[in-house]
Amino acid sequence: MTIISGLLLMISIIVMLIASTGILRLPNALARQHAATKAATLSVSLFILGLLIQVLNAGWGSEWLLRLGALLLILLITLPLAAHALGRSAVIEKTTKKEKSL
Amino acid sequence: MSLLMIIVVLLGISSLGGIYRLILGPSMTDRVIGLDLLFAIAIIYCLIAAWISERTVYLDVAIGIALTGFVATLAWSNFIQLQSRRQPGSSS
Repeated sequence: MTIISGLLLMISIIVMLIASTGILRLPNALARQHAATKAATLSVSLFILGLLIQVLNAGWGSEWLLRLGALLLILLITLPLAAHALGRSAVIEKTTKKEKSL
Repeated sequence: MSLLMIIVVLLGISSLGGIYRLILGPSMTDRVIGLDLLFAIAIIYCLIAAWISERTVYLDVAIGIALTGFVATLAWSNFIQLQSRRQPGSSS
């Protein structure tokens, strides 16, 4: 049980490192948004799952399960909405700049 | 405990990209993207603090950080859209 939890945590941190590399190396604002938001959502969700397995293994009561479930639900609702808003603002800003340069 | 130390160090390394993109991004959207990545890293740090100290208070802090980051990202992106639509010549 602990091996699965540690594996999930390490996969989560590796995905976060990939998100950081993408936000540094990609050339465009829209591509940077694509690299950052989706990978950050997957990373936080995997970390919550790993911590959930650890809590179930240690038997720390139902307060942890309730709060971790609420946090996972809130993150899975709100992070794609923020990604959509960032994509809209990147596209609108890019088209406005192109009109200005013309 | 050594696994947690490795995780904390790797998270610190991956937050450097967000800080770089927050300070000198070319456009306004890049700074908001860096801020979003830093909010995600802050949520993971709160979970690590809750795991080490075995208190549930830090999970409430993580929920508050998640809601605050969502509202901040939405407000900044709406501000960028309104600015780009109203003044098509002087947006930066």
